[in-house]
Order: sequence, then structure tokens, then C-alpha cells
Amino acid sequence: MMKIVLRIAREECRSLLRNHVAVLGTLLLTVLMLIASLNAWEHQRNSAAEIARYQTQSNHEFESQPDRHPHRMAHYGHFLFRPLNALAAFDPGISAYTGNTLFLEAHRQNSANFGDVRQSSLLLRFGQLTPAFVLQVLAPLLLVFVGFSGIARERESGTLRLLLTQGVSSQQLVLGKLAALSAFTGLILLPAVLMLGVLALTRESAWGMSLVLIAGYAVWLLLWSLMVVFISSLCQRSRDALLGLLAIWVVAIILLPRWVPDLANAAISLPTRFENEITIQKEYLALGDSHNPNDPKFAEFRDQVLKQYGVSRIEDLPVNFKGLVGMEGERKASALFNRYAKKAFDLQTAQNGFVDDFAWLSPLFALKRLSMSAAGTDLQNFRSFLEQGEQYRYNLVQGLNKLQTEKLSYVDDTTKGKENRIDRSNWQTFPEFSFKPSSSWSTLKTALPALGTLVLWVMLLGALTLLQSLRLARAIK
Amino acid sequence: MVNNQALSPAATSVEYVLDAVNAVAAYGSKTILHQLNLHIRPGEIYALLGANGAGKTTTLSLFLGFLAPQSGSIRVNGIDPGTHPAEARKQFAYIPENVALYEHLTARENVEYLLDLAGQRETADTIANSLAAAGLAPAAFDRRVSGFSKGMRQKVAIGLALARKVPALLLDEPTSGLDPQATTEFNRLLSLLRQQNVAILMVTHDLLSAADVADRIGFLEAGRLVEEVAAEGQDRFDVRLLHRRYAGQA
Repeated sequence: MMKIVLRIAREECRSLLRNHVAVLGTLLLTVLMLIASLNAWEHQRNSAAEIARYQTQSNHEFESQPDRHPHRMAHYGHFLFRPLNALAAFDPGISAYTGNTLFLEAHRQNSANFGDVRQSSLLLRFGQLTPAFVLQVLAPLLLVFVGFSGIARERESGTLRLLLTQGVSSQQLVLGKLAALSAFTGLILLPAVLMLGVLALTRESAWGMSLVLIAGYAVWLLLWSLMVVFISSLCQRSRDALLGLLAIWVVAIILLPRWVPDLANAAISLPTRFENEITIQKEYLALGDSHNPNDPKFAEFRDQVLKQYGVSRIEDLPVNFKGLVGMEGERKASALFNRYAKKAFDLQTAQNGFVDDFAWLSPLFALKRLSMSAAGTDLQNFRSFLEQGEQYRYNLVQGLNKLQTEKLSYVDDTTKGKENRIDRSNWQTFPEFSFKPSSSWSTLKTALPALGTLVLWVMLLGALTLLQSLRLARAIK
Repeated sequence: MVNNQALSPAATSVEYVLDAVNAVAAYGSKTILHQLNLHIRPGEIYALLGANGAGKTTTLSLFLGFLAPQSGSIRVNGIDPGTHPAEARKQFAYIPENVALYEHLTARENVEYLLDLAGQRETADTIANSLAAAGLAPAAFDRRVSGFSKGMRQKVAIGLALARKVPALLLDEPTSGLDPQATTEFNRLLSLLRQQNVAILMVTHDLLSAADVADRIGFLEAGRLVEEVAAEGQDRFDVRLLHRRYAGQA
């Protein structure tokens, strides 16, 4: 059984080697993959170096500020840069659109800025030439052009009858064609495997996720090999098989991935940035002015503090009440910002869930989910960066407010002309930001269901191909 | 020099290598063959003639295992092609009207590949011998078949059949489109196979060629085998009478 399957596969490979479209297409794809890999690797290296340099510079600038009022330092702010995951070079995911720079300041929760797309030409918006793009979009197209005639041609030319009359079963024929196409996909996948190996070498922790990516893309290409063999065995003529496969490719890879997010946006709409800012600003203003210790919105807080310290006047407090109001105001503002951020992320997660449901129509959704998740460039990782950044901002601002509370007296702080600066050495007491990417387990929890979806697709197509192979012999009269 | 001994098929123990007993075949509700009885011995050439739609191709499909009889039985060297198609197909070689070969392969590569698939590994010499015995010029052995004429393709198919050393050969309109010289050459090859005890079923419209080479000729009419005549013996045929009979039927 296997001997014949392998012999058919060997012959199909020989036929592919003599097929100019297959050879040129493979060369072209390999060149594209190499260019994409080198480009992405170079971009990644430059970005990582830039991020490290800017982060060091930003840390240095913050720490070398002169003696200042602590709250002025909170307004002076700080920059955080999102360190890129080693595998982001393979699949930049949403990073190119979301940006990697976060400006931290008091009373505000800023979103990340400076995504690659915004800094690049408009051409980039049509899709970056990354290894992931090559494997997600171009590799299936090459498989279609290489394999569409695999079985249809045998039927069309009459060699199917010839094969069957040599005692070959239709299942052996289909398996042989599939084996040949799978060997071909191995060839397509090889540059990506090498690239992921090199990327994983740069960071030890990336090995596991590299393997997940390799497994995901191997299943993806196997899925397309099955699709090509199935459609080829279904059609009477090669031309029909090609048209059918191209139609599937266009719908599954071009149309649905563009149409479904729009549908998700219509079904679960997110408020625009302006709407969000106006709403938040209204609620923020309602919290009171935390720069003004006499703001009536903080009267209740003042009474609590006075009661806690057992004094009747804020001037008698052992700490700077203005700093305390700043802390309380920041606490309330942060809770407000976090509530809106959570709401926005929940909506985005729901949108993603909506899109994921369409993985039953286009397995590309499942692959993208797996790929971005394993590469650390999905929404979950971006959210993690923003949340860690926000936590750092909150600690920084509250730390500065605490310095104001403890190192400046209320009288000095509220009287014009009084010294209200503190020593610059205080700025160096704040720890530097250190981004912790999602844990492997958390990533796997997202990636494995997507891999499961792809495997189910493979099983479904495998079953259909097997059934069709049984019909193949019966269809001959 | 062709070594015909090396190309001899394996000996068979059954009386009829190709055997149809009361076979009824239908496509859906339409019955194509009615109670077909056809028995072909080792070393016998049987030509099956009939008008278009008489059931000739359906008869071949039964032996090829592409169609199972509704009732009755079909055996190829004792094996039922309906239930054991792969095993039955190892017992015969089949040459269709238009021989399909792999265009990107040479004549030699085609034979080598198809022999491999049939579970036979032959030496280069045996393959060359079979192609030479089929009448293909040695210069054409290593040429891609994409440029081959119909006659050359048939020679490759016969070369394959010879190399397969099978006890039966099924032919579908083998001389259609061949010039008289090629037809004579083809009939010579069939005679060679007959000497090697191969049972041959030839479905054809070519009465002259059938009369030239066949041991027996059967006439199918609307799915029924209405007449059988032989080249030898009491019921030996007269070509002129056959022609009149056949032309009238057609």
C-alpha cells in the first residue's frame, strides 16, 4: 500500500520538478520568504535597538531632571517603549497598527502611539511583506497553482483509468498526490522553520512558541494541500479545479478577512476615540480638581483624613494634604480610566470572538489567532503592555504624589514664593519599567484552541477527500 | 534481439481467463447488457463487434471492474473484479482506444512507472525488450511521449502489456485511427501474445481487422450477444457474409 503511495508521490514530485510554474513559483516564494525574513529580522533588530536606546534615554532624562516640585515631575511624565517579542519579526500582528510607545503623565491614560503603519508609506497598509503574510496568503496560492491539476489532469487525460487498471486503488492515488503536495509544502515551510530557529536562538524562551508557530503553519499548509487534492479530485477538468480553488482562495483569504472585521465592528461597535475622550473628560471633571485641596468634591475626603489624624485643620496634618488630594484624585481618575479601558478591551475581545467564529468559514482566522498569539503580537499582548504601562504610570504618579505628601509641607506647597522643590536624587528611586510578556501558558490557552480549529479543518477535509477518493473509481465507466 | 521467453505471461489454471456468466449490467434503471455469456480461453483472441450503444464498452467496464453486474458473474482469471478490483486488475492489461500516457515521461519511464504501480520491478533490459517486441524503435525509448503518434503510443501500451506478463488483455477499439500498415503490425503483436497464451478481448468496429486476427467473433445487439462465429471449425466465418451481417446491424 505505502510503496505504491510513495511511488505515486515520487512521480508527482518529478512532474512538479519538470513543471516550470511549480519551479518558478517555488523559487519566487522562497526569494520572497528570504526577503521578508531578512527585512523583518533587520527591522526587528533596529526596532529593538531603538527601543532600548530610547528607553535608556527616557529613563536618563527622567532621572536627571533638576530639583523640582514632585507634581511637576508627574506632569513632566515619562516614556515607555514596548519591547518587541523575538517572534514579532515573523508575525508583527497588530503591533504595526497599535504602536509601541506610551507617554505616561498624571491625570491621563494615554494610548500607545507611533505604530509602524502610521510612520510608513500608504503601501504598507495593503499588507506588510512578512514571513507570516507569505505563508498565510501567498503559499496557499502557490499550492493551488502547483496542485490543482493533480487528479483532475489524470481524469482529463485518461491516465486515471490507466492507473486504476494497473491495480492502483483510488485511495492510493489520492494519498500519493497528497504526499507529494505535502512534501512540497515542507519545502515551502523550510525557510520559515530556519527563520524561526534563528529567532528562537536570540531568546531562549521563544523556542516553545516557535514550535507552536511551526506546528500551526504546517497544519495550515497541510489543510491547503488537502483542499487542493479534494477539489482536484472533485472536478472533471483541470480548468474547473483551478477556478474553484481560486474562488475559495479569494473568499477565504482575501474577502472574508476584510469583510468579517467590518461585520464585527457593525455588530459590536466601539465608541470612537473622540466620543470616548469626551465621555471620560466629562466624568473626570465631575471627580473634582485634584490640584485644588479646597475643591468641594474632596470635602468628604478631607473630613476623613482630618478624622483619621485627629486634627481639625488641614494645616495641622503631619503630611501635606495637597499631596493626599493628588493621590486621591489620581486613584479616582485611574479607576475611571481603567473602567473605560476595560470596557473598550472587553468590546474588542468580543469583536475578536465574533471574528473567531468565522474560522469555520475561513481557517485563516484561526491561523491568524494562533500566529499572532504565539508571536506575542496579538490584542492580549498589547493589552498586557498597556495594563502594565498603566500600572507603572499609576505607581510613578502616586510615588511622586507621595513624595509631595511627605517631603513638602502644606504651607510651603500652597504659598507662592515658598520653596517647594525636592532633591533630584528622588527621581532615581523609581524602578525602571520592565515589560513582562504573557506567560507561555496564557499564550497556549489562546493558541491551542486555534490550532484545534485548524486540526478539525484538516480532519474534515481529510474525511471529504477520503470519501471522494472512493467515488473517484466509481465515477469511471 | 527480443527475448520473447522473458515476456511470457505466468501460467494460468482456469479454463476461461475472461468469463462472463449470465451477466446483467445497468446504469440506473436502464439495462445495457442482458444475460451476457462470454468465455475466453488462454491463448484465444475474441473480437466483440456491435453498433454504437450495443454494450461493448459496458462489457469492457465489467471486466475492468468499473461496473459491477446486477446479476450473474464476471471473473478475470478466477477473480471477481467487482469485489476485488485491485487483484483482478493485476490479471490483465488494458489498452484503451486513445492510449493515455504521462506526457512528461519518456516511453521507458512510462513503462517503468506503470510496472512499479502494478507491483512489478523489471530490469531496464526487460523493459527495452518489451518495447522492442511491441515494435517501438529503440531511438524512441528515451523520448518523451508527448510527441508520439497514436501508433507509437499503442506500441508503448503493448510494450507495457508484454512486460506485465498478464494472462489477459483487454482492448478498446485498438485499430481505430491506425493506417493499414500499423493495423497489420498491431495484429502481428496480438498474434505474438496469443502464442504466449494470453486471452484477448478486443472490442472493435473494425471487422476486417477482427476477421484477420480473432479466433472468435461475437456480435452484440442491444445488449445481447446474438451471434458467435469462429475462424476455424464447422462454424468458421466468411468475411463477406460477416460484413453484410454487420453492415445491416449497424
